[in-house]
Amino acid sequence: MNTSSRSNKSKVAAFRTKLSAAMMLVIAAITAFGFYLAQRNVTRDAERGLHQKFGTELSALDKLLALRQAAVTERSRTLAANPRIHAALEDNALDLLYPSAKDELRDLMENRELSADQMAKMLHAKFYRFLDNHGAVLQPPNSQDVGALSAQSEAQLAFKKLPENQQLGYIANDDSPTETIDEVTAVPIFSTETGEVISALVLGFKPLEIVPQVRGTGMKSGVWANGRLHLPSLGKSDTESLAREIADVFTDFKKPKNSLRVAVDGAPHLLFYKRLNPGSVYPPAYEICIYPLAASIGQLHRLRWQIGGVGGLLLLGGFVASHFIAVRFSKPVEQLAVDSEKNRAQRRVAEAALASTTEKLERSTRYSADASHQLKSPLTVLRAGLEALLSREDFNPEIYEELSTLLHHTHRLSGVIEDLLLLSRMDAGYLQIDSAPVNLSQLVQEWLDDLEALPDSPEVKIEKEIPVELYVAGERRYTSLIVQNLLENARKYNRSGGCIRVRARSRDGEVQLKIGNTGQPIASNAQSHIFQRFRRASTGSGVAGHGLGLNVAWELARLHGGDLKLVHSENDWTEFELRLRAAQPAQSA
Amino acid sequence: MDSRGLLWFGAVSTVLRVSIFAQAAVEGRVELPKSHPAPLMAKRYEIVTHGGVLSTEPPVAVVYLEGSFPKPSSLPTKQIAQKNLMFVPSLLPVQVATKIEFPNLDDTYHSIFSYSPAKRFDLGRYRTEERPIPSAIFDKPGLVTLRCDIHEHMRALVLVLDTPHFVISNPEGRYRLGGLPSGHYVLKAWVDSKTTREQPLDLKNGQTAHVDFP
Repeated sequence: MNTSSRSNKSKVAAFRTKLSAAMMLVIAAITAFGFYLAQRNVTRDAERGLHQKFGTELSALDKLLALRQAAVTERSRTLAANPRIHAALEDNALDLLYPSAKDELRDLMENRELSADQMAKMLHAKFYRFLDNHGAVLQPPNSQDVGALSAQSEAQLAFKKLPENQQLGYIANDDSPTETIDEVTAVPIFSTETGEVISALVLGFKPLEIVPQVRGTGMKSGVWANGRLHLPSLGKSDTESLAREIADVFTDFKKPKNSLRVAVDGAPHLLFYKRLNPGSVYPPAYEICIYPLAASIGQLHRLRWQIGGVGGLLLLGGFVASHFIAVRFSKPVEQLAVDSEKNRAQRRVAEAALASTTEKLERSTRYSADASHQLKSPLTVLRAGLEALLSREDFNPEIYEELSTLLHHTHRLSGVIEDLLLLSRMDAGYLQIDSAPVNLSQLVQEWLDDLEALPDSPEVKIEKEIPVELYVAGERRYTSLIVQNLLENARKYNRSGGCIRVRARSRDGEVQLKIGNTGQPIASNAQSHIFQRFRRASTGSGVAGHGLGLNVAWELARLHGGDLKLVHSENDWTEFELRLRAAQPAQSA
Repeated sequence: MDSRGLLWFGAVSTVLRVSIFAQAAVEGRVELPKSHPAPLMAKRYEIVTHGGVLSTEPPVAVVYLEGSFPKPSSLPTKQIAQKNLMFVPSLLPVQVATKIEFPNLDDTYHSIFSYSPAKRFDLGRYRTEERPIPSAIFDKPGLVTLRCDIHEHMRALVLVLDTPHFVISNPEGRYRLGGLPSGHYVLKAWVDSKTTREQPLDLKNGQTAHVDFP
């Protein structure tokens, strides 16, 4: 009992541990998932936000660029319509081209400090060149008027074939000590006579720069063209490493992205790019914008701490909750274990009790049977001896009287033994009722007749109300024994001048036989165990009886599926009621 | 136009014999290109462009005799006026060294110039009352395209010829060139800025030769 309760306790503890572990696992998984989601969302939102910013800033740039392009287009159209330019181009007077254009383009070349917006509108060009009808650059007679340009840079302006549309390009200009990049716009000039492209005007500008909408974002912008990155605000080594990364992206066209993560000065940045001159004959050029990710990373860090904190709290709460839930859950289990242990103990006790009772019962039954048998034989010998002595004629009359009394007692003893035998058989379950219809009316009448014939019968009046042909289901000898016992009791415990009333009736499939008699009633405290063995109502001691009659009658009545009850015992009247199952008379009878 | 200059040179060198006093004539018909309906903008003007080729509308030809002729001591001054934003006439053949005046008959400014290799000049902006009338001497044979710096559509062609013998055909392409010395020549027909046809010609005194340019 002690060890089993201890093992139960350890089982409950294990259950509790498992439950807490499972709950903590779930909470940990949820926290981790939250981590992952938050991180992903923050990163995505940051990227989306920056991309949007890039888009906005780029669109502002695009607007300026478009403005400038439109102005350039308009200017070239005016230029193409200029009769002198035309004359120079069409009348094979290319030497007069630059002088003729000089006046027209003078305002472009005037070096004035202008804002980007104004620059776009005012077309403040750094240089211009005309291309001949093969796309080659026409050498200006005086490069001062048209903006200085190295031969190398100039070569980048040329086309293999004159384009029919305006072209936007970006060329490296190594004239100045630090290499710069120039935005060039080539505008075809159509002959007003032939409608063909006879020349092109290429205008070079300082590239428009992205002006951050919000100051202090740390955004840096530049242009990537011809495999080179021009990002003046960035250090040389950073620029070179960045250029390599970008080149990798541009060469790998299978993986189109619109952004990439780069490290600048060891800090993570997000780089966006967009082609500046889509569809241009000039080599592709890209606007490059890098944004520091410090803000979003900081936010991510904060969020991580927050989520970590919440996760920790959840974990703690979960631990406590799981503990309580485990305790709560394990209580019934514990109770169950205790209960089942209790039940087992109780069952063992009951089983032992039952076993011992059964054994006792068997033993007593066997004993009773053995005793009956052992008693019967000497009794028969005794009776035979007494009868032999009584048949002699040479004794005094007092001796005959004594012998007769002894013989009477042997008869009583024999009755007791018979009853004990019967009871022991019933207790052992060996008595089988061979049920058949029994004529109760007849049976009662016979016993009443016998009763009147008995020599020691007191003066009692007998009343009877019995319908004729009243049948019950039972074995005749046992039914008879019940009736005999009841009637004998009624006679034995009667007073002188009393009466016995016997009534019988059939109702609802059973027969009620009521036997009542006058005389001293049974004491009220004895009434409850009147049917127990060897119990006799404490009436007059002169009444013969051994205390088994009522018990035998009761047991037999029960065995027949009926019942025997004391219904009344007071005021000089005691009445028993026997109930037996009714039966139909046998067909043959 | 360079090639035309060479042609000129070649033509001049092919002249074998010149008879100064003999009088002959040549007539015939130049097959002219079909009249093109000019683009709407240029319809009212006589010089039109088709595929980069300048010609007159309706088409006419300038037929001239190539050869080595004595230089005249003086040549009459010609005029190309600007009237109703047009050059009048729009095609003018002249002998080398001819002076052409460009009177402005419009109420607006004109600014006549040429970038043609045969004659580059720029008269600047002037009005009708400009005196002396702005002029230029065309001292080199070749085709000169005249333009106005203010009115970009205005065009005129001056065909400067190293010969005194030339004539503009009628719109059917018929021409007659008289008062010619006898001899072997090359007769040329200028049709447009890119096309000049030529036929060998034997001229005899008192005879009228018939040369058609198919």
